[in-house]
Amino acid sequence: MTLDPTYRLGGAAGWRAIRGGDALASVELKSLTKRYGTAAAVDAVSLEIAHGQLVCLLGPSGCGKTTTLRLIAGFIEPTEGEIIVGGRVVSSPKRTEPPERRNMSMIFQSYALWPHMTVAENVGYGLSIRKLASHVIADKVKAILGVARLEHLAARYPGELSGGQQQRVSLARALVVEPETLLMDEPLSNLDANLREEMRFEIRRLHDAFKTTTVYVTHDQSEAMTTADLIAVMNGGRIEQLGTPEAIYDRPVSEFVARFIGASNVITGTALDASHVQVAGVALATTGRVLTAGVKVPVSIRQHDVTLETTAPPAGATNRIKAVVKRQVFLGASRDYLVALDDGSEIRLSTAAGQNVATGSAVWLHLPPERCLALER
Amino acid sequence: MTDVSIAASDTLPPRRRHGIDLSQPIMLAAAALLVVLIVLPIAWIVAYAFLDKSGALTLGNFAKLFTDPSFLDPLIATATIATSVGCLCCLIAAPMGWLVARSDMPARNLVRTLVMASFVTPPFLGAIAWELLAAPNSGLLNQAWRGLTGASADEHIFNIYSLGGVVFVITCYTFPYVFVLVANALDRIPGELEDASAMLGATSATTARRITIPMVLPAIIAGALIAFLQALNLFGSPAILAIPAGFHTLTTKIWSLFQFPPKPELAAAAALPLLVLTVVLLRAQKAVLGRRSYAVVGGKYGAPRPVPLGAFRWVALAGCLFMLLMPVFLPYAALLNAAFSKIPTRLVTWDTLSWQNVYFTFFELSQTGHVLKNTFLLGALSATLGTLLALIIAYLVARQSVRGHKILGFLATAPIAMPGIVLGVGLFLAYTRPPLVLYGTLWILLIAYITIELPAAYQQLQSAFHAVHPELEEASRILGATRLRSLRDITAPLLRTGVIATWCFIFVAVVRELSAAVILFTSDTKVLSVLIFDLKESGDLGAIAVLGLSMLALTTIVIALANSIPGRGGDIRLRENG
Repeated sequence: MTLDPTYRLGGAAGWRAIRGGDALASVELKSLTKRYGTAAAVDAVSLEIAHGQLVCLLGPSGCGKTTTLRLIAGFIEPTEGEIIVGGRVVSSPKRTEPPERRNMSMIFQSYALWPHMTVAENVGYGLSIRKLASHVIADKVKAILGVARLEHLAARYPGELSGGQQQRVSLARALVVEPETLLMDEPLSNLDANLREEMRFEIRRLHDAFKTTTVYVTHDQSEAMTTADLIAVMNGGRIEQLGTPEAIYDRPVSEFVARFIGASNVITGTALDASHVQVAGVALATTGRVLTAGVKVPVSIRQHDVTLETTAPPAGATNRIKAVVKRQVFLGASRDYLVALDDGSEIRLSTAAGQNVATGSAVWLHLPPERCLALER
Repeated sequence: MTDVSIAASDTLPPRRRHGIDLSQPIMLAAAALLVVLIVLPIAWIVAYAFLDKSGALTLGNFAKLFTDPSFLDPLIATATIATSVGCLCCLIAAPMGWLVARSDMPARNLVRTLVMASFVTPPFLGAIAWELLAAPNSGLLNQAWRGLTGASADEHIFNIYSLGGVVFVITCYTFPYVFVLVANALDRIPGELEDASAMLGATSATTARRITIPMVLPAIIAGALIAFLQALNLFGSPAILAIPAGFHTLTTKIWSLFQFPPKPELAAAAALPLLVLTVVLLRAQKAVLGRRSYAVVGGKYGAPRPVPLGAFRWVALAGCLFMLLMPVFLPYAALLNAAFSKIPTRLVTWDTLSWQNVYFTFFELSQTGHVLKNTFLLGALSATLGTLLALIIAYLVARQSVRGHKILGFLATAPIAMPGIVLGVGLFLAYTRPPLVLYGTLWILLIAYITIELPAAYQQLQSAFHAVHPELEEASRILGATRLRSLRDITAPLLRTGVIATWCFIFVAVVRELSAAVILFTSDTKVLSVLIFDLKESGDLGAIAVLGLSMLALTTIVIALANSIPGRGGDIRLRENG
């Protein structure tokens, strides 16, 4: 599916000129907290989203990402903290502007298409609320349905559409009102794998074209990687780490982020000096932060950064650890190994498919120092 | 902060200013109304029962109730009737429910439909029909028996005017409650559970004993409690059959205390035990059904595998149809016969077929027009206002949009524990005095009907709300619609089917209601059910049959209309996550 962002007369830039300057809003969360009873679903979350940025809230279920999104939408009131949109406080414990006054759009996980309205009625609803003339509504609806390749379905009811079509209607309905802020709540989780991958790029492309400030909630890290300018990894109601996809991937600050983003091994050892950690009797050179000797340190290394060697390393070679193959699986493009170190801890790694080492064999692992990241917690 | 938001709102596209949030005041108003509807009558019953004429605290009314034989006998009779009905209903309905839900008996859907037919028959109409059939002298069945055996005119085999007769007739119109509970429970229990037992080597008998019966037992017990409650609180059937037999039940006794000279304090004292017992039994029923959650645990199950009965299947069908003779075929035949016969207790032939009763009922009987007008007016008003009230409460509770919504839900379901006759007594006591003298007006009946039907209406609409995903409303809000606009554009159209069904449900229930109306009516505010009850006193069985059949036709038409309303826009339910 291809959405052509220039469907509006004069294109996105022309439209912005008509609207009178930059209509996109920044979104700022200031120590936002939502408690249910004593449990904090969102715990002092602070986040600044600049004009036109797409920020992903990424985390496992129950981490508070959807609650944060619903706080931004105004469906729930914060217990503490503020939400500032375009310089205007829209949510605070004292006063919460209702969702209908925030000029936002939202794409729901369930799509929330109204089953009693046709596709055209669904898409045109937001425009009719804005009291546009009916011929303007008809034109705009026709245009957006055109780019979403839905024009032949305009008279259908949502119940008569496939999942992917429903998804596109939901997207068209959210975009046609030209919101200042776009909120997406796991928008792709109901699609099958192929369509999901396609839609990821589509959403990113649309964002590059319109630059609508967007908050995107997902639990799928590759979805976040593809779409986001910034990723906020959430855990237990807090933002664990905020950064660009590259930063989050290359420099996770904590064991949680390292494990959640990408396939990382985290092994814990004791710091020997500023840059060495004792693991399974081997002094492992690490990168990342400067260590204090004697402190327990988690060290992360990606599965595909570990090299498997069947011959003993030459004398003086560093960052080599002896291990035994416990299990190996042929995955087609690669081979997945589970090996055990002398101290019993296990490491998963992936090698070229052709490297076939029998279960029970003794092997040596090479953990390149520049890939051994000493984590902060 | 205020300055900022006003200044910044200029940059927003033109949008209708949203009004103040009305949900809190609406919720308070609804709660206040519910308190008045429910608490006021109960408070007056308690006050009357425990206070003497001078206003001092007394237990005298209860002492009289439990010692005076004229009160003690009805208590015993009521207990006997209710217990017998509870047991009989289970004995009849549980096997029928199993046959319909789990066996390969032919015509299972027909049996289900016929059971529903006895469900919708007003019990007092059934009682009158059985008078026509089994009164000792004039009963059609007794006449037939005398004709067959040549017995003399003063002999009879059936006497409906007896304790047994009352139990029999109440059972006829109460067993569907047990049937529905058992059949539904069996429908929900997946057949795999029984198959699993068979796979482990159990015989059919063992599977039935160890698996099936334990799983439906809660439904059977709950059904028995409901049947017991029905028999306990029923007014029409005992009034028609027990009083000629020379005994009272608790409900007819309460009613007689309102006949001249009225003794409201004793009526209040007699109503309280009914109220307490109903609350206790409903709690028990909830506890029994609440534990049923073990019945179906996760997983996907296929349709149950019907148990083959072999040649016995036809015997089973014959048995079911024979059972349905009594609540459905015979009474309806008797009513039709009475409606078109010059003498209601004679079997009609082509020669004696007559429209005389129909003509008399609709053109000569002066009350008919007036009563029908009252009935329609009250039915329509109660249905409209009751649906509206239930809708507001269901919305506030389902969307949890206000604090204290749980209390509101509790209040809305509380009248379920108030028997009609008890509510009648309470309303009579509450509204025969200033500041609100409503006795003698249609308003008091309106209040009674709305209160009685509120729990069912509320529960129906609540489940309708649950089917409308909250995200559907939120999608409208985030696109700029206010709460009220979302309600109008999104929620209301989606609830349409549920709302219309609820309206029809209340209308039908109001048209049938007798036990509260019989306490609250005056000659100006008579309704159809009361007219039928009154005509019975004057022995006008032909007119009763015509009115009764008209009432059934009316309710059947309304139910059929409600069922024929199509849902719009395909699947109302939303896809769930994953």
